[in-house]
Amino acid sequence: MGSGIWSTDVYSAAASYRAAKGSSAFAYSDGGARSAHPDLDPRGVTLRESRDSAEHPDSLAVAVLFDVTGSMGGVPRTLQAKLPDLLGLMLRKGYAADPQILFGAIGDATCDRAPLQVGQFESDNRMDEHLGKVLLEGGGGGQMSESYELAMYFMARHTSIDCFEKRGRRGYLFIIGDELPYPQVKRREVEKVVGDRLRRDIPTREIVAELTRVYDVYYILPAGASYAGDGRVLAAWRELLGQNVLELDDLDAVCETIALTVGLGEDAIDLREGLDDLDELGSTAGTAVGRALAKLDRGTLVVADGLDLGGDSGVTRL
Amino acid sequence: MREHMIVTDLGYGDAGKGTIIDWLCAREPIGAVVRFNGGGQAAHNVVLPDGRHHTFAQFGSGTLRGVPTHLSRFMVTDPLSLAREAAHLSELGVPDPFRLLTVDRDALLATPYHVAAGQARELARGDDRHGSCGMGVGETMAYALEHPELAPTVGDCEEPARLTRKLYALREALGVTGPPVEDCVAAYRAFAERVILVGSSFTTALLRRRPVIFEGAQGVLLDEWHGFHPYTTWSTTTFANALELLDGVPAVRLGVLRTYTPRHGPGPLVTEDAALTLPEAHNGNGPWQGPFRAGHFDAVAHRYALAVTGGADALALTHLDAPVSRMCVSYDIGELPVGAAGDLEGQARLTGRLSAARPRYADGIDDWPAAVAEALGVPVWLGSHGPTATDKVLLRGVTAPERV
Repeated sequence: MGSGIWSTDVYSAAASYRAAKGSSAFAYSDGGARSAHPDLDPRGVTLRESRDSAEHPDSLAVAVLFDVTGSMGGVPRTLQAKLPDLLGLMLRKGYAADPQILFGAIGDATCDRAPLQVGQFESDNRMDEHLGKVLLEGGGGGQMSESYELAMYFMARHTSIDCFEKRGRRGYLFIIGDELPYPQVKRREVEKVVGDRLRRDIPTREIVAELTRVYDVYYILPAGASYAGDGRVLAAWRELLGQNVLELDDLDAVCETIALTVGLGEDAIDLREGLDDLDELGSTAGTAVGRALAKLDRGTLVVADGLDLGGDSGVTRL
Repeated sequence: MREHMIVTDLGYGDAGKGTIIDWLCAREPIGAVVRFNGGGQAAHNVVLPDGRHHTFAQFGSGTLRGVPTHLSRFMVTDPLSLAREAAHLSELGVPDPFRLLTVDRDALLATPYHVAAGQARELARGDDRHGSCGMGVGETMAYALEHPELAPTVGDCEEPARLTRKLYALREALGVTGPPVEDCVAAYRAFAERVILVGSSFTTALLRRRPVIFEGAQGVLLDEWHGFHPYTTWSTTTFANALELLDGVPAVRLGVLRTYTPRHGPGPLVTEDAALTLPEAHNGNGPWQGPFRAGHFDAVAHRYALAVTGGADALALTHLDAPVSRMCVSYDIGELPVGAAGDLEGQARLTGRLSAARPRYADGIDDWPAAVAEALGVPVWLGSHGPTATDKVLLRGVTAPERV
């Protein structure tokens, strides 16, 4: 006991807390940018890949795409601040051996400057840099729809993941938002935003079926967003994704929710164990996470509800 | 370990609470380490088997094992030194140390103004220094006693206007300079935005989930009411604060001792022996506290510590690897009487008697756990013969300590 080994300098302390808070995470957006950062621009991108390597032989792809339009209020900023913790959370409790995380942002192709932004799958803190480059759009169409279907199209056709291709294990895709997808993936928008030439529009249900062969897709509706708890939004997504629609009443718990969902999906834990892990890590998110994930717990789940996608959808795995 | 545990030093500090808590946290899932007294002046050294070393001041000694820390309402919190400590923990590979931290809003705030006033007061004492650590903890406690409504708390960091008023009043009352109030407010706001601040019910919730370790600071012989006045600390170093936080929930009371009795700074050390030069890896001579001193194991002083703190359920004995074989088993003045709490004049008289006390020794001690258990009447549950968790052994013949 007994010393003053740690400095009490007021200025370095202030800088240290600010740095830890990650306020620089918003640098790109706050710097007045008006279009997607080149690193996140999907146009012309052939594939975003999650690959095994000597260092990460058992890669697992985890993609998190969040709505950055105005209806989401301050939610994107909170996500931008919270999501960097995701990797550490999954690693610390061993929910996945080698998770590789991709972040992306969803806007509205009918009116936004950056309707889709997609980073790379990364196994380290480079994903933080991608988050920092996300342009927070703040626009949105005002018709209770955003271009989620365009994001799902990109993930279905422009990603390649070893966990699925080598080992038949689906990756995870989390979409965080508060509105509906448009009913069709429009060929005109795909050409403009991604650069692909399609022969026809693709019904959103079809692209979901295609996507869910490769990814377990979850939709998270967080508190604090404009249409949080809106019955129509929930019903529409449940029709597409069944029970994989999660209502989250504490946005601060988003990382924990995603990490535990992966832990449950990988059979690394049951919900009780996952919540105990959160307690052990000192997280106060347990209550919110427990509510959001109650229906996903294999220990209690008997029958999937609201599933109406036919035999070609991967969602039936649950 | 299924029980909550309170870890307290039964000497003058420096016995090795940090390394014992690190071992406890490495062994079983622990919900949190709760600090229940003192402040940023604590210096609990933890060394990992790979050689990484951290001197824990406000973070709990389980941090390197990923165990969260809760700073209770009894803790004098200094967000400024906390930031530097967190930076060092990051360097050691703790991902985002602030994430592991919760602080009670009612905890008192130690500020640069308290630090300045405390150092000025200690300097003015000249040769009669009390052994302050120069971290402003005593000043913080004194100011809060004198001005209960005006003392800045951790919760004030969320209320910049109120905090600003309090800091101006504080600086004026203490008559010190220091950094501009606005700069301090900015730093404290950043602290409140980054660290999770909680209310008093948080401890109750913690206790329901997993075993909690209460980490004491300093030692019972430095206790503000039962220590040897005036060479004491402005802090209740006994089990009392932890028991209050437990509010009736059972816990094991673990006392920590060395095989010899060290002391930082001035004040009674009856068994002090200048010939006792033992290697001391982490305790230097502090610029404010004064020299690090060593004495033979003082069973009389440690029995007094047990008496004033209401007894312990088990002991952890460190420095079993030290080449010592002498134990003070009695004084020529007899056992030390326990006075009424708060009778500082009585404690000062006791200090005076100690200066004349002569130790009586037993020599040739080789089985230290047995000798200590016999001298103090408390089983020695855990032994430590080195700095890391791998140097700890549960002692044979002693089962897990029973709870209170």
